[in-house]
Amino acid sequence: MIQRSLLMDSHALFRALLRVMALGIAISGPAGVAVVRAAQPDFQVHGFLSQGYVLTSENNFFGNSTSNGSFEFTELGVNAFWRLTPSVHAAVQLLSRRAGESSNGEIRLDYGMVDYRAVSNESLDFGVRVGRIKNPLGFYNDTRDVAFTRPGVILPQSIYFDRTRDLALSSDAVQFYANRRNAKGEWELQLGIGNPDVDDLDTELSLLGADRAGDLREELSYLGRLMYERDGGNIRVGLTGAQLNMDYAPGVGDPSGPGSIRFTPVILSAQYNAENWSLTGEYAQRQLEFDDSIIYVPSSLKHFTGESYYLQGSYRLDPQWEALVRYDVTYLNKDDRNGEDMATLTGGARPDYSQFAKDWTIGLRWDPHRSWMVRAEHHWVDGTAWLPLQDNPVPSETERRWRLFTLLVSFRF
Amino acid sequence: MILINPMILYAQQVYVNPGVSQVPDDRQTLRAIFSMRLRQWPDGTPVTVFVLPTTHPVHVDFCKEVLGVFPHQLQRAWDRLVYSGTGQAPVEVDSLEEMRQRVQETPGAVGYVNKENSE
Repeated sequence: MIQRSLLMDSHALFRALLRVMALGIAISGPAGVAVVRAAQPDFQVHGFLSQGYVLTSENNFFGNSTSNGSFEFTELGVNAFWRLTPSVHAAVQLLSRRAGESSNGEIRLDYGMVDYRAVSNESLDFGVRVGRIKNPLGFYNDTRDVAFTRPGVILPQSIYFDRTRDLALSSDAVQFYANRRNAKGEWELQLGIGNPDVDDLDTELSLLGADRAGDLREELSYLGRLMYERDGGNIRVGLTGAQLNMDYAPGVGDPSGPGSIRFTPVILSAQYNAENWSLTGEYAQRQLEFDDSIIYVPSSLKHFTGESYYLQGSYRLDPQWEALVRYDVTYLNKDDRNGEDMATLTGGARPDYSQFAKDWTIGLRWDPHRSWMVRAEHHWVDGTAWLPLQDNPVPSETERRWRLFTLLVSFRF
Repeated sequence: MILINPMILYAQQVYVNPGVSQVPDDRQTLRAIFSMRLRQWPDGTPVTVFVLPTTHPVHVDFCKEVLGVFPHQLQRAWDRLVYSGTGQAPVEVDSLEEMRQRVQETPGAVGYVNKENSE
């Protein structure tokens, strides 16, 4: 069962957030005097608001997206940053996201932390962050809900699954970080220990196949990312490793016993940046292990590994226009890439094509103003591996081949 | 008196508040400053970075010639900091004139100017 206790309060909070956004837009004004102008060294407020439209040929993505399409894709965030002393800062971000059935617009604390930098000189930074911290996974997870920072309207779903997004977002954790610089480049290491957010229906649906009587509970988890940037970022390479630990706590009359679940993703990231174009690729393997006592997972799937990768090219036609092309591949189980074992195991309830997804994407980005962005994107998808489960409750009633068109308008300050 | 960085090869120059005793002149330190990584000067004064809008020709040239990075890379680095809570954005000013004024009146401030206009 999923806690919805915040839901009532969230409407009032949502309205308050909207007022802050309206204020931001009013201050930024038509003349383009962005609020960034008002940013002061010791206190800064920033925010973003994105509204998307999604139209699919088959299957639902972010709401009832077939026929007339769906506008149920809204992202809204406000953050504040305080420099308390030269070596201590605090930062907080509130986030509201609506995306079909999976995200209902509820306000969440995206991050809220204190950062103490023990060492900061021209060749080394070292410090520690405590509180709710964004999980540094791959290139894009840290700012995954900020459309301006994404490489497209929708992140490559192979690596950045929106359907288990809550698990990936942030952790209540302690994180140590170090940056080492020399003439050639910069190394950045982040090591965190803490609790991820597992109390989410989508996570339960993805891991246990349905909304079970019991609950998923977080256990102490570990996350590390090492990133190297050569020559100011012309070449960026990264290695992320995490071990996310959860427990299944049975509910009343639950036929299953308690047990632990361990999710171990490893991500390799690489990017080349030229003046007008960038080439980006990421590859991931995700191990999932369940205790035998959790009866909702068939014995053949108690331990399996998923595999994902994408390759993406973007070209800046001029400072305002950017074109994107991407090929993105997901296998939920690398020992069952074509999904036949799953289809057999479930008697067709989980079709073979629900176990993979191959997505060709083209997109266009237009930045008419530093605070505004418009994006259009088209996807040709073979498979449903990352189709949101709550928007498509019956897997056998989905279509294998489908297209997705999306349009997004985004404002930030 | 304002200290001017002796990087005579370029049309743009690092411009610091008079209270900053050591003017950074190597690319590594300048990158650390303008990517918003370096938070304090050796004497402990907080670093406050001023920049022109990202499409301003002086900003573009400063990025490419002095820092050796493309403006879009710097913008993305700032965005990552600002929207993940791990850092802040530089303070943006509208003109070279405002740049000079804000840098002069803000302790620990650093920015850049166009050499032709700075004499």
